[in-house]
Order: sequence, then C-alpha cells, then structure tokens
Amino acid sequence: MIALTRRRPELGLLFWVAAVGITGSVAVAAAEAAGFRPQQLVIPVTFVAVAFVLHVFLAARGVRGDQLLLPLAAVLTAIGLVLVQRLASNLLLQQLSWTFIAAGAFAATILIPRDITALSRFKWTWAILGLLLLMSPLLPVVGREVNGARIWIGLGSVNFEPWEVVKILLVVFFAAYLEEFREVLAQTQRRFGPIPVPPVPYLVPIVAMWAIAMVVMVFEKDLGATLLFLGIFLAMLYLATGEAFYTLIGLALLVVGGFVAYQAFGHVAARVDVWLHPFSEEVRFDAGYQLVQGLFALGNGGLFGAGLGNGMPERIPVVWSDFVFDAFAEEVGFAGALALLALYLLFVYRGMLIALRAPTPFLQLLAAGLSFIVALQTLVIVGGNARLIPLTGITLPFVAYGGSSLVTNWMLVALLIRVSDATARVRGTP
Amino acid sequence: MTRSIAANIRGLTLVIALAFLVTSLGVGYWTLVAGNELSTDPYNPRLVAAIRDRPRGFITDAAGTKLAESAQVGNTFKRVYADKTLAHVTGYASFQFGASGIEAAYADSLIGQDPADPLSQWRARYLRERAPPGSVVLGIDPKVQQAAVAALGNRRGAIVALDPRNGMILASASWPQYDASLISDPATEESAWKGVSEHPDRPLINRATQGLYPPGSTFKIITGAAALETGIDPNAKVRVDDPWQADRSWGSYFVRSSSRAHGDYTMADAFRLSENIYFAKIGLQIGGPKLAEYAQRFGIGSATRCDIPAARGQLSSTGQLDRPTLIADTSYGQGQILASPLQMALVAASIGMGGVMPTPHYATEVRDAEGHAIRVIAPGPSGQVIALETARALTTMLVGAVEGPGAFAFAAKIPGVRVAGKTGSAENPSGAPHGWFVGFAPAEAPTVAVAILLENTARGGEDAAPLGGRVMQAALGR
Repeated sequence: MIALTRRRPELGLLFWVAAVGITGSVAVAAAEAAGFRPQQLVIPVTFVAVAFVLHVFLAARGVRGDQLLLPLAAVLTAIGLVLVQRLASNLLLQQLSWTFIAAGAFAATILIPRDITALSRFKWTWAILGLLLLMSPLLPVVGREVNGARIWIGLGSVNFEPWEVVKILLVVFFAAYLEEFREVLAQTQRRFGPIPVPPVPYLVPIVAMWAIAMVVMVFEKDLGATLLFLGIFLAMLYLATGEAFYTLIGLALLVVGGFVAYQAFGHVAARVDVWLHPFSEEVRFDAGYQLVQGLFALGNGGLFGAGLGNGMPERIPVVWSDFVFDAFAEEVGFAGALALLALYLLFVYRGMLIALRAPTPFLQLLAAGLSFIVALQTLVIVGGNARLIPLTGITLPFVAYGGSSLVTNWMLVALLIRVSDATARVRGTP
Repeated sequence: MTRSIAANIRGLTLVIALAFLVTSLGVGYWTLVAGNELSTDPYNPRLVAAIRDRPRGFITDAAGTKLAESAQVGNTFKRVYADKTLAHVTGYASFQFGASGIEAAYADSLIGQDPADPLSQWRARYLRERAPPGSVVLGIDPKVQQAAVAALGNRRGAIVALDPRNGMILASASWPQYDASLISDPATEESAWKGVSEHPDRPLINRATQGLYPPGSTFKIITGAAALETGIDPNAKVRVDDPWQADRSWGSYFVRSSSRAHGDYTMADAFRLSENIYFAKIGLQIGGPKLAEYAQRFGIGSATRCDIPAARGQLSSTGQLDRPTLIADTSYGQGQILASPLQMALVAASIGMGGVMPTPHYATEVRDAEGHAIRVIAPGPSGQVIALETARALTTMLVGAVEGPGAFAFAAKIPGVRVAGKTGSAENPSGAPHGWFVGFAPAEAPTVAVAILLENTARGGEDAAPLGGRVMQAALGR
C-alpha cells in the first residue's frame, strides 16, 4: 500500500486529464447536429480508465521519480482523441485502439529492460536495427507509398511509419556512442586558426549513421523526418561536447543541403514555394491550398476561438494528421493554442530536468535527446502550420491522428520515466 | 576541460524555450493580427458558409434593380438571381460549390463586414454581433446590358462595354449562360452544377473576362502604337504583295492578305482595309522585344486588375517573341497571342482616352443596410500606356477604319457620332474564325468603349462590327 500512495500527485493530476478529455468530448458532440448522446462518453471514459490503469501499474511496480510526464502525455492524448472525434470521427475507434497499443508499449518499456543503463551496451544493435527499419519501406510487398512519401510499411490494413521508432533508436545509439567518445570529440586543442579541428576518426561512425539516414530519407521523400534526424544529430553532438562549432557546421550543412535539395528535388522546391507565396493565385488553389485553408482556420481563432465544434477546420485537407494544431487554434483561440504549447514546453522542461539529474552521461544524453525529439517535432509542425517555416509531414506529438506516432511517443515517455526512476533509486529519493 | 553535460542541457533548453516563444508569437500573429484580413478573403470557406446561415445583402444594377437577394427556406437562406444574363457577373453562392463573381469578390461586404468598416469586422469577430448585411451596386446599365444581350443573342461569345473615363463596366454578356439560382439552391445545386460544369461549351466561364482568344486584327492597334512610338512614319508607303514572306528561310510559310492585295499602303490604309502584310512587315521592323513590350504595356500577358477574376492572356507560349515568323504573325494578332474581350476593350478605351488605361470594375459602391455608401469603388487609371500624340494619331486612323471609303468596320457606324474601331477575324483551331470588334465613341471624347467577340462566326469581324455599333448606340442614348 505504501507503494500506491507514493504517486499521489500523479493520481490527482489524472483527474484533471479526465475533466479535459470528457468535457472536450461532450462539447464536440453537443455542437454536432445530432447533439450529445450518452454512449459517446464511452470513448473518453475508456481512455481515462487506461490512464488510471497505467498510474496504478507504475505505482504497483514501485516506479519512482517523475509524476508529471504521465498526466502530461495523457492530457495531450486526450486532446488528440477530442480532435479526432471533431475532425475525423470515422477514425475515432481506430485511434482509441491505438491508445491501447500505446499503453501496452508504455508498460512493456517500463517492464522489459531490467536495467535502463544496459541499453547502452547494445548500441550497434540499435544502430543496425534502426537502419533496417528505416530501409524497410523501400522493400517490395510491405513498403507503402502515401502522398508521394514512401515511409510506410503495411501489413493488411495496419500501416506503420518505421522512422518513428528509428528516432528513438537513434537517440539511444547516439547517447551510448557519445558517452564513450565525448571526451575525445570535445578535444579541440588542435586548432586551425580560430577553427577547432575535430578528431575526425571518432566522428566517422556518427556521421556515417546520419548520412545513411539522410540518403534513405531522400529516397523516401520525407522532408519532416530528414529534418528531425538532422536536428537530433546536431542536438546530441552539442549536448555531448558543448562545442558550438559542431552546431554551426551542422546548420551550415542544413542551409547548403536545403539549397541543393531546393534545386534538385521538385517536392522540396514546391514546399518552399508554397511557404513563400501561399496566397498567390497560382499556388492558393493548388499546392498551397492546404496551408491557405490552415491559415484561414488560424485567422478565425481570435483570442478565445470559435468554440469546440463551431469552427470550420474540416475544410483543411487531411486536417486530422497534418493540421490539428490549426484546427485546435481555430476552435479554442490563441489562448487555447498557447495553453497547448505550454503543455509541450512543460513536458520538455520535465524531460530536461530528468536529464539534468540523471546519474550517468548515457542517461543524461538519453533523457535530453528524447525530450528534444518532442520539442523539435512540436516546433517543426506548429511552425509549419503557422507558416513560420516550410510545412513538413511531421506529426504533432500525442495529439495528431496516427498510430505509429502515438505508440512511439508513449515509449518515449516510458523511457524518460525509467531514467527518472533510475535517478531516484541512485539518489534514494522517492 | 570539457563542459559538463548539465551545462549543455541548460543551453539547449534555453534555445528550445526561445523557439517556443517565437512560435507562440507566430501563432499570435495569425490568430489575432492577420485574422481580420483572412476572415474576409473571398475564398475563405467561412464566408461561403455564411451564405447558408444568414441573409446576404442585395446586388443591384446602376438603376437600383435587385439582381441578387436572399430568400429564407426554413432556418436557412438561399440566393435568388433575377437576371440570367448577368449570371457570370453576379456569380453564384453555393454552400457546396463555393461562390464566384461578385458574390465571391464582395463576400465580406455582402455579409456586413466590408473592409472599409473595421468596426463591424471587429464586432463580428470578437462579439459575434453582425451588422445587417449591406448591398453592392454595380455599374451595369440595364439599357446597355439589354442591347448587349440582344446583340449577342444565342451565339457563343461575349460583349463587354465600359466607360473609358473611369473603367466602370456598363454591360457584360457571355453566352452560353447558366442559371445561378439553381446552383445556389441546396435542393438543386448538385444536379445544376453537374449539368453546367461538365457541359462541353463551358457555360460557367465568363467569356468577357476569362475567355481567351487570338485577338486577330484588333491587335493591329497595339502594333500601330508600337510603330508610331518607335519612329516609323505612318505615311510612308509599304509595298504589299500577297502572298508574302521575308526570305527563303520561311520555307513554305507565307503571310496572307485577306483581300489578296497588291499595292502600296500607308498605315491609315492598312487599318482601313485591315492589311496583314503591312503589319507583318512593320512588326518585323519594330522587332520582337519592342512589340512584346507594347503588348505588355497594354496588359496582355499580365494580370488584369479587375474586381472579379479576369484572365492574363499571353503573348506567346514562352512569353517572348523570338522568331521572325512568330513576330510577323503576332503583329496582326495571330501566332500564339491570346487576349480576353475585356483586355481588348481596355485597349480601345486607352486609345480613346489619349493613352491612359482605365482600371475596369464591375461594382461602383458598397452600401450599408440603410443605403448609405460605405465605400465607393473608383480605382484610378492603371497608367499612361502610350503618348497622347500616338493615341490621337491612332484614333484618326481607327475612325477611318469605320468611316473611311471601303472600311471593313463600316457597319459599326452610328448616325451623328464619330466612331473609332477595328474589326478582327481570328483564325483558330476550332473552326470558322472568331469575329472581333473593338471600338469607342464619340471618337473625340469617348463615353463608351466596347469589345465584341463571336466564336466561330462565318464572316468574322464583319459579323461583329454591327453589334458594336448597336451596343455603343445604346450607351450613348441614341
């Protein structure tokens, strides 16, 4: 019983999650022509029950450490379910099923690696597994192409985006590799004028990993994942070495690579043109239609929004996966959008706090890298939705419709909780 | 000494926090600052949805006759249009298929959120209070419109008449037409839309503003303007021998004279008798880049600023005149050049106005529910496209083209008024030539400019010229 009471704050926060999920769902249902029907409560109540079960599971296992991440991930997932109900109600049951799988993946990640630090010992396994997964969509039979991007594998009616898993494997690999070699990599006594000369041989494996990932992504034509991988690579290098030089080189590579891609690949040039001139007559009815409709939705948001169910975000093509943020902002306004961003920032802040306190460099790098994924994905898709940067097909973590994203992000939460748990055990705190 | 990972984590977190701040500001910009402008964008579906949920204002012609109004059906509203001949102008307002024409261009004004009235926009956005809908008044003059509709009859084509002094469109007819009321009624929109959108004659297109045709001999006005301004003497005799080619390199290609002419022509003769070989020869003398520049000055190939969508036209498929045969053909309006009737009416108008091109507009005023003007639509001229003396010289020659001995466009004459004009018969791949007439009257101080286009008509420009005379006569009130 002592174990169960240890996670009281988490339990208390889950009641807020329940309040958000259930009132959101009722509000959406009430705004529909058919009105609210009690049986619609089944979906949010089922998910809230799943969240409570996860809490009891953590408490019963005696997991210590952070108690904010589970409620944060749960409230974002609950908002996601409300938005799927609002924007694509035919996909709602499917998304609810994915939350079960996500919860299972979360529990498995809590249970299976007996010692989280041991993950670093299999770093080459993760690297090879990651590359194989990344290349799997190029295979015949299982590989699927959706909207021009060949990033899916499919079995029967279930489609999965392997790169979602790869992003986690990549962070685990980088954390393990950099823990081992970070001291060497940060050796910048040798300087060529003001430019530090990095110890090239030790950079080869990570650069090679990254380059292979890039090449594969170019063939699979997914701008968002390429950007995410590059971001992870740069952030991990910076975290390990503190050498701003690496980051600057990386950003220069991004600019040059972006320019080359703009010249060489039609799909990249099209994205950039839409970003620069979405309202021009040539673009707005064609390639820019989705973005323009998204901006209309944002513009209708105002300060407090049209009210859940009262906007017209359904006019945005594929709104439930690419433009949930704009849909949300239309109906709850700038105030609600800011609150959503605050939830993500809080999530990232907690993740970074776990990283700061973690006992070993591997765990520090792991937790910081995983938190960075959530931060970067949020920034890239919200930035794309708000025309701050070109739009990419990255999903808004936990909220956007999609199974692969939900499952891997819940695994990510479990890993962060594991790091926090390991820290608490080393330090002897609850 | 390596920096501690903890310090790096703090650094990265700070960068992330700053990026969140910038992103929040971006979201704030779109939701709060840009919101007003976005919410009145004519293609914002939220405006179209307003069609169903509340009554929209009237669209009236210059005489005050209601052309479009809202009718209540249960709790919803539908639009009803009084005059089928103006369907292309008023457009339709369908919940399912969006809006077009004035209904789209003035969608914000018609629901009481005119951009000139920021207070009503603000109240609609933040207080969800709506001003009663305003109305949009068009410059369409029912007399001229009736004359244009009667002149066109049920021949595929378009007629547009405008006041060259201010660009106000007086009449706008396009055949085939469609019934905008059916497309705007939820009960019939589906079948009506299917009927018109799949019809091979494409009745949804407003041929006056969006139909693109080779301008044929009406383009000679622009070639003439370019020639006068590059110092070519209009009185110099140019030898015409049908058929003609510049040199052997043209192979089997020849420019043909429509009257199989042999003789010496001045520019005035060439306008009067519409002599292709004359213009082909001086076009080559002007040169491709200069001729392209003048077409551009008259707006061909660039966006036509009009309050409802209007086509850009094109100079050639590449936008350049780089081959001698293409230059020669373009000089008399063939080749690859395409223009809309509205564009050619503007060409005539700017000659009549001493080289000043007006900006065309269908609407003249937006009024609030009490009938007070909120906004007067009076765009200034788009610019001086040619010199006053050039325009005067061309006017004299265009009067000759209507009233001179043996003039092709004689049928556009109006008793007691000097009329300037030019016919055109445009060869095209779809059959008989398209017949054109563009003109203005009175020649010395025009109050009306017209463009007539008849698709695939047996006698080309000769069929179009009398219609131009009738429409201008109606506008002049004679």
